[in-house]
Amino acid sequence: MIKYHPEHEQLVKFVSGEADPAWSLVMSAHVDMCPFCQKEVEAISEELSHEHLSNDAHVTMDSSLNLMMNDIMDLSTASEEKEQSQTSYLELEGRRFELPRALRRFASKTDSWSRLVGKLWQAPVDLGEMGKGHFIFMEPGGSVPEHTHRGNELTLVINGEFQDGQRCYDTGDFILMDSSNTHTPVATHEDGCLVFSYVDEPLYFTSGLARLLNPFSHLFFK
Amino acid sequence: MLVGMTVTEEQSRVREPKECADEMSEYLRKIAEQRCRVSFSRLFSFFAPRVKSYALRQIGNDALAMELVQDTMANVWQKAHLFNYEKGSPSTWIFTIARNIRFDMLRKQQNRKEDICSEDLWPVLFEQTADPNEADLEEQTTLNQVGEFLDKLPVKQQVVIEAIYVKGKSQQEVADELDIPLGTVKSRTRLALQRLRELLKEND
Ligand SMILES: [Zn+2]
Repeated sequence: MIKYHPEHEQLVKFVSGEADPAWSLVMSAHVDMCPFCQKEVEAISEELSHEHLSNDAHVTMDSSLNLMMNDIMDLSTASEEKEQSQTSYLELEGRRFELPRALRRFASKTDSWSRLVGKLWQAPVDLGEMGKGHFIFMEPGGSVPEHTHRGNELTLVINGEFQDGQRCYDTGDFILMDSSNTHTPVATHEDGCLVFSYVDEPLYFTSGLARLLNPFSHLFFK
Repeated sequence: MLVGMTVTEEQSRVREPKECADEMSEYLRKIAEQRCRVSFSRLFSFFAPRVKSYALRQIGNDALAMELVQDTMANVWQKAHLFNYEKGSPSTWIFTIARNIRFDMLRKQQNRKEDICSEDLWPVLFEQTADPNEADLEEQTTLNQVGEFLDKLPVKQQVVIEAIYVKGKSQQEVADELDIPLGTVKSRTRLALQRLRELLKEND
């Protein structure tokens, strides 16, 4: 069951179109998976539309609007758009993972999977100007070495579940970590765990041998 | 009821939001079904100036603000059939269209249009089956079965469901016929579909 959601304030920014685009993408994917936030988004949209469009401030039609109105009515009805057929799943080692709608566009842009340390797999996603996101698959028992974050780390659990010593995250959970959090994610589920993750700064590994990874951490997880 | 009223009179009239939403929904339906120009001009007179003041506040540039109004209202004219009566009011739908367009305009100004576009984040203008559950209801169940389940609904809900799904009437037509508010028709429909879904699940 989904337990972790974006904060209300973040959803308000998302709905008003003012959230950071990469955040918006992850939130949108979470909303696809989360009936609770779908309702929340509907309620916020209603509130915002009321605030922005229903105000009884003095508004009037002027001549340029009148002209515009007539021009618009000369437009024919748009030909029916069909949703482009997109791959809706990711494949790894013969398994297929259904993706939430918002991330489907990136399935085809996802470079191939590569094996990282231990039981971890990673596939970078080119997000253009926003940088890179990553699909990360943790095989059962697979673990990301203990690390903290220089910036924000957004994670959406797409399939399976993982733990980080303090909490257990399930399919659909939306997780925000920053420099105040140090954790060691471990996939506890027998099917492993697929997540989508976005970090705005490279991770910083905090323990043992993994610290040796720090100089190279920009090569993965960023 | 508003026929013959001039635009200025209409604007100065203070209206209950609910009444207004129902009225605007009805305009949208007529635009979708009949390309009704009168309905569009009423809807436009109400929303375009409001979208414009939203756009001005967001963008602060008159030409760009007008572009936003133009794109928003053109979408309303051309895609009124995508408005989902069950999912929210016309003002919410129109706001989300305007928000999408503003988002894309901003990305374009920053030359970042390619990264991500509004329809990825908020798919408001796609043809889509309104509700997957309702599609299931139509596809997976025989009429006979539904008939049996219909009998288990309260009579008031049966009447509404039959009129809409069997006779193909619009919710507004049903409201007029039964002389009850549109909102009541909507809530009866919603309750009935919910109950039907439950019944279908139980008998799956
Ligand atoms: Zn949620």
